Amino acid sequence: MLAKKLFRTILKYKAQFLSMIIMIAIGIGVFVGFNMEWYTLEQNTNAFLSETGFADYRIISKTGFSESDLNAVLSIDGIKAATRYFSVNASVKNSDDIVALTVNSDTRVSGVLSVSGENYDAKSEDGVWLSDRYAAQNGIKTGDLLELIYNGTTLTGTVKGLVKSGEYMICLPDANQVMPDYNTYGFAYISPAMFKNTIGAEFYTQINAISDLDKNDFVEAVDKALGTTYVVLSKDETISWSESRGEIEEGQVMGSVLPVLFLLIAVLTMITTMHRIIAAEKTQIGTLKALGFKNRKIVRHYTSFALTIGVIGSCLGIGIGYLLGWYIMNPNGAMGTYIDIPDWSLKTPFMCWIILLGVIALLTLIGFLSVKSIIKGSAAETLRPYAPKKFKNLFIEKTKLWNRLCFGARWNLRDSLRHKSRTLMTLFGIIGCTVLCVGALGMQDTLDAFVKVFYYDAINYEARINLETVGVTTDEAIAVSERYGKDWGATLGVQIGDKTVQLEIYHLENDSVKFVNETLNFTDLKDDGAYICSRIAEEFNVKPGGEISFKPYGTNAEYTVKVNGILRSMVENIVITDEFAESLGIEYQINTVYTNEKDVEKVFPISNVQNKSDVIKSFDTFLSLMRTMVALLIVAAVILGIVVLYNLGVMSYTERYREMATLKVVGFKNKQIGRILIGQNLWLTLIGIIFGIPAGVGVLQYLLTALAKEYEMVLSLGFKTFAVSILLTFGVSLLVGLMVSNKNKKIDMVEALKGQE
Amino acid sequence: MNVVEFKEVIKTYTSGDHVLNALDGINLALEEGKFIVILGPSGAGKSTLLNMLGGLDSPTSGTITVNGKDISKLSSDELAEYRAETVGFVFQFYNLIPTLTVYENVALINEIAKNPIPADKMLDEVGLLSHKNNFPSELSGGEQQRVSIARALAKNPKIILCDEPTGALDSGTGVMVLKLLLDMAKNYNKTIVIVTHNQNIAKMADVVIRVKNGKILSCEEQKEPAAIDEIEW
Repeated sequence: MLAKKLFRTILKYKAQFLSMIIMIAIGIGVFVGFNMEWYTLEQNTNAFLSETGFADYRIISKTGFSESDLNAVLSIDGIKAATRYFSVNASVKNSDDIVALTVNSDTRVSGVLSVSGENYDAKSEDGVWLSDRYAAQNGIKTGDLLELIYNGTTLTGTVKGLVKSGEYMICLPDANQVMPDYNTYGFAYISPAMFKNTIGAEFYTQINAISDLDKNDFVEAVDKALGTTYVVLSKDETISWSESRGEIEEGQVMGSVLPVLFLLIAVLTMITTMHRIIAAEKTQIGTLKALGFKNRKIVRHYTSFALTIGVIGSCLGIGIGYLLGWYIMNPNGAMGTYIDIPDWSLKTPFMCWIILLGVIALLTLIGFLSVKSIIKGSAAETLRPYAPKKFKNLFIEKTKLWNRLCFGARWNLRDSLRHKSRTLMTLFGIIGCTVLCVGALGMQDTLDAFVKVFYYDAINYEARINLETVGVTTDEAIAVSERYGKDWGATLGVQIGDKTVQLEIYHLENDSVKFVNETLNFTDLKDDGAYICSRIAEEFNVKPGGEISFKPYGTNAEYTVKVNGILRSMVENIVITDEFAESLGIEYQINTVYTNEKDVEKVFPISNVQNKSDVIKSFDTFLSLMRTMVALLIVAAVILGIVVLYNLGVMSYTERYREMATLKVVGFKNKQIGRILIGQNLWLTLIGIIFGIPAGVGVLQYLLTALAKEYEMVLSLGFKTFAVSILLTFGVSLLVGLMVSNKNKKIDMVEALKGQE
Repeated sequence: MNVVEFKEVIKTYTSGDHVLNALDGINLALEEGKFIVILGPSGAGKSTLLNMLGGLDSPTSGTITVNGKDISKLSSDELAEYRAETVGFVFQFYNLIPTLTVYENVALINEIAKNPIPADKMLDEVGLLSHKNNFPSELSGGEQQRVSIARALAKNPKIILCDEPTGALDSGTGVMVLKLLLDMAKNYNKTIVIVTHNQNIAKMADVVIRVKNGKILSCEEQKEPAAIDEIEW
């Protein structure tokens, strides 16, 4: 019988029950979904990297490593496996495409995962194992012939299998490109046998190793084993590892701020609602008690409400979470165009399950405590409805202003102060809605400003011409730059302490590249010092006027330079002019020429040409991932706003039902009462927005600080963001107000006035 | 002159297959300025009658004319106007707004009535001017009912409708409230209709209408109604 009552009570409070379920479902859904994103990424990339033997270290030599070098490395304690490895960008014959040609003496390290066709065969004399994504984009199938040109020599092979590789999990031609483009760039593994047959000799520029040693120990052991100093890159310095870790960290930040806020609001509103529903059942609880039901049974009955809501809401929440998770993390979505992994199955972090159980337990506990507090007295006490609260005159009532307020304003003001928890929850809901809107839209603004400055304004050239890395003399490079507008750049790896960053040297006569300072304005480079990016400035605590020391790779020369300024930059770098480089005596090789000409003939020493639009396009694709999250958060904010406000509105409506019935009897029209109710909502909304906007800006600032490792973004908020946030919040509030006040028509004056006072 | 006329008024409540005629063909005429008591046991239909008259509900069929105007087919807004202009209510449980002070509960009428009597004046007349800044919960039942009488009269309505106005009060307080109600109605020349099952109140009425099973049993005029002090409560 009590089960029947449970069911009917749920029907009676269907608006509240439904909104509680929706709130928990969305709260948990957003939380689970956003956390699923980074966790899935972490789990699936880790599994893939370990499966393909992703190397922890890369020892680099321009002259190449012999088999005895490899054996020397393998003999080091703490090195589990190692291979000789060679990777170079080769052109695909009769197309503009580039493929990273890879040769690997032992594919247990830096190897491949077969997707279709034959498995990799180290002895095959004509086999090519091609990136499956590149093959798909270019219509290449197993059995097709592929001709690659490396250093003037053509390597002809048959595509034997399609593969994925951890080394190319994020498949970019260089660090300046942000998004993979499998239309024009892929990778291919060929056997050492084929390479040797075609080129005539073995040539490996790297030894890749799997090892638990930390970098210092590793470098020391390798230097000792090989007898000379080599450049060693740890996996943190590879795109596949660092970018995917960056993506995971970014996901953790995104998952730990806004969704947590979301869940918090959902849980708080849920608690108030649950408590109020049970309080509203006081006389019924008294009746059950008077009838002779044992306390335990009544407590169990009412606690089961809370449990039911918790369980249904959580189940739906997991569903929504999976949906969201899939939306962000699927092979065809933005993440899929970025990262190439075989397994996209979603995984939920363990802490999500704990939080899920925690939410259900909390809700049940609230239900339990609410009944407990009601039931503890005698049956007679419980039967009696709550005694009306004593009122005190508010401070404001002593002022002249009070007398000027209309009846509705006084009624609303007293009601709001009388039901403090309800008012507070409404404020929380509104603040939450505003914070999410400002946060999400502000993120968009910030990204847009970032893109505009970094890609549309700072890139002041039409195309960048990349020169061959090997066999180009400075005169040949200068000749290219003379032909195409005189602006050129050189990039080399340098170390600041243990950290590897880029040293960028520029010769700019036409301002082809502009440099963004901390306030998103442009800085002119001077010839008497260096410019460092803000991440380096922060990490090494260097301010303009201070000094920084760096060591080019593979040399023992250390340079200490004055820091002229701090730049916002995509990659971690130090920027100097060519004149300053020459005054320091740094050796470098020109590798890029910047031009405003669109037609560049691809002849030696030009390796390839990237158009500005390609660079921007690749970043746009990359941004779309962030945009997806922003859109999801806005939708969630609106739903949250509607549900929280509607729920509280209905609660307020129920609690003021009798008063409204009296107003109606006295002769107030539905519209007049509706106006008063909406008035209260709008005033609370105004207050909520006043608090919500600075809170939103604060949350955004926090997010940007947390994301600073990834991007050097500057908080920028447009007028539109504030306008849209305010309008959206007011819109939600008005909509809910109308929905609730529409119920006025249904007030049964006769029925409402029958009850006892 | 008749201020109220009921013609063949039927009110039917349907729940599922069950049909209940709360009012079953009521014909009634009430004269202006009179004190009318509607008597009857629980479920007789007397409250339904009062609700129809008060514009809280509309009849299923038949017409109700108040002050020459048919109110039986008015829209909900028109009914609200009717309630704001023509009738004042006094309920068994006072129905004051707990979040408004005594003064504000009465002054609230200013927002809707065209021709209200100042709240201070009304409160003075019910003897509660000194409590004007108190909240309802700080008053006794009798005091709260006096506020509700002040509220009902502040509108300056044609008719005062009372549903068991002394039902929640002890007999001493009840008599006091009743006396106030009648005196005020007389001073302001209002028609007053009281629904009750208390036979004693009926003794004081100009007209006593007995209701049973949704029908009018009798409608008798008392030539010499008893004075309130003559009745043994």
